[in-house]
Amino acid sequence: MNRTRREFLAGTAGAMALPLLTGSGFAQSEGTLRIGALNPVTGAGGPYGEGMQKMILAAADAVNAAGGAAGRKIEIFAEDTQTDPQAAVLAAKKLIEVNKVQAVLGTWSSGVSLAVVPLTNDAGIMLMNTSGAPALSVPPANEKGLSYRFQATNDRFGRAFAEIAEKEGFKRPATMAFNNASGIGNTEGFKKAWEAKGGEIVSSVVYEPKQTSYSSELMQILAAQPDVIVMGSYVGDTTIILREWYQAGQPAKWIIPGWAANSDLVAALGPDVVEGIISVDSVSNEEAAAYTEYDKAYQAAMGKPGSDNVYAAMTWDMMTVLALAVEAAGTTDMAKVNEKMHDVANPDGTTVSSFAEGKEALKSGPINYEGASSVLDFDAYGDVTPDFSASVIEDGKINRHYVVKI
Amino acid sequence: MLAYLIFALTIGGIYALLALSLNLIWGGIGLVNLGLVGFFALGAYASALLTGAGLPVLFGWGGAIIVGAIAGLIVTLATTRLRDDYLAIVTLGLAEVIRLVALNERWLTNGSDGISGIQAPLKSALGNQGFNIFYLVLVSAVVLVVWLVLRRLDRSPYGRAMKAIREDQELAGFAGKNVLGFKVQAFAVSAAIAGLAGALYAHFQSYVSPDHFQPLITIYIFLAVAAGGVGRPAGGVLGAYVVVFFLELTRFLPDLVPALAPAQFAACREILVGVALILVLRFRPQGLLPEQILPAPKS
Repeated sequence: MNRTRREFLAGTAGAMALPLLTGSGFAQSEGTLRIGALNPVTGAGGPYGEGMQKMILAAADAVNAAGGAAGRKIEIFAEDTQTDPQAAVLAAKKLIEVNKVQAVLGTWSSGVSLAVVPLTNDAGIMLMNTSGAPALSVPPANEKGLSYRFQATNDRFGRAFAEIAEKEGFKRPATMAFNNASGIGNTEGFKKAWEAKGGEIVSSVVYEPKQTSYSSELMQILAAQPDVIVMGSYVGDTTIILREWYQAGQPAKWIIPGWAANSDLVAALGPDVVEGIISVDSVSNEEAAAYTEYDKAYQAAMGKPGSDNVYAAMTWDMMTVLALAVEAAGTTDMAKVNEKMHDVANPDGTTVSSFAEGKEALKSGPINYEGASSVLDFDAYGDVTPDFSASVIEDGKINRHYVVKI
Repeated sequence: MLAYLIFALTIGGIYALLALSLNLIWGGIGLVNLGLVGFFALGAYASALLTGAGLPVLFGWGGAIIVGAIAGLIVTLATTRLRDDYLAIVTLGLAEVIRLVALNERWLTNGSDGISGIQAPLKSALGNQGFNIFYLVLVSAVVLVVWLVLRRLDRSPYGRAMKAIREDQELAGFAGKNVLGFKVQAFAVSAAIAGLAGALYAHFQSYVSPDHFQPLITIYIFLAVAAGGVGRPAGGVLGAYVVVFFLELTRFLPDLVPALAPAQFAACREILVGVALILVLRFRPQGLLPEQILPAPKS
């Protein structure tokens, strides 16, 4: 008994000594700009997290290759959120206190972003996220103006849905939402905008994830005889709902977010079922030079086209625009850098599409970075305001019809 | 580094409270409560909502204890005939029910957006660093008090009666012990401790959402109690700190193994946790601090 306890104590002492040893491993190298990459490498965000992290690293490499920002090289410290707010908070605390990072980039789900933002606010550093929840725009989450969102809010998607529904001449919309911040944000945003136009919603349901059938929810919606059904959904549940709707045989039109009404959906259901569905997406910047560079980096790192992971394009932009703001401020004092974020991303200035280009252009005047994920203009809340495209599925092809501004 | 250690130790303390709660019910009286995280969530939400309605923080914590205890009472009274695996399944379901209610009753809990801006007591007076130290001291003190109380309980005739029920319920009943009474009381106290842990957590993080209360927490606490020693309060406490320490320690391993990319390492961390559990169960199934059965005092 005694012997084993002594062994145990020795083991614990050894374990306690480990962080002291590793302490020398991350010896604080003076002169670098320390940035935290906090991405969902495991958990529900797993399919995106690795790409997001690698694009932060790749964008930092591009900055360093161009001589660094404000004369400083960038050093990335990576942690995994596990797509879990509790784990993410500890990871963020480690980045902030141990690695002394000056900004945290790339939180993905809304729950994680909302959990991490009090820590970054306390530390007075920026948090850049790809989450949809409207709560991230306003206090208490964004009380210091240090939170930046690179994804269109779900609320904005909803407003775009309302514009499109009006343009298409629908009169009796109904809504169906997947029960999470994103799904409900879509349909609530639609409801607000639609009712502001004097319209009325005939029926709405919120459904639980991971069911094998949604027929009771669907029947409830169809009973109200809507002319269009507006969705806040994902591919899996949308597939089931549309199949059941097609079998029911009652005519209706659909407005579905682009991440659900995509080529996977067409492949799963066949062209007949999805004919005429309106797919709404934020206009990514596929024509832009920044996108080409991002695509090249993503191919090199992941062996897949950049269009595979919209969030990776956002993290690429995060690193690039942050480095440009540092360069514009001429210092790594984050309060001053934060003031420059809007200046380097928003219009009025030479249009640039990479850090190297922006660094050169900053010598002669203001710049406007046009990103890979969107044109990347921040509003007063630190949110991007992309345009939205309405595409219609015709003969199994998703054809863009027009673009709406909101 | 210091601020990070303080933070991790505070989380460790909250896990230690959960481990004490689980040890009382699982190690003490032999009921498997897979719904621990549900009571944790109830406490967190109760305190967040009460203080959000303008009540002082201490009322919130008191409220969390009461809500936890009531929920514990309801669960035991509703499941008096269930034991072992059946009870485990019911409690697992209960935790999911609580999480889904938090997700769906948007008028009360703000749904998946969660409740942010929960009062952090004395934070404005103490500043960030001061608050973190204050909270570590507070949580550690609560752990100490709860541990002392449960240790006293463990060594008292009451504790022996609980363990008798754990070992053989029929025999304990035959010996004149009120089996149901003991179970109800133990479950209520255990749930109240979990509720208090939830309240402490909510005011530390100032944000709670349904995502915070995934079944994974319950698994971590089972891991902590199993590694620390089932049936001994000190074992659970030690186990909880060891689990948090281990989880955090693995973050620093990439510095030692530079060959692994950060993304690969994130996956390896999860493997390490599983391997550690297997090793503990293989080589020290009784836990780091095994249960002590003291002889009853001669009277």
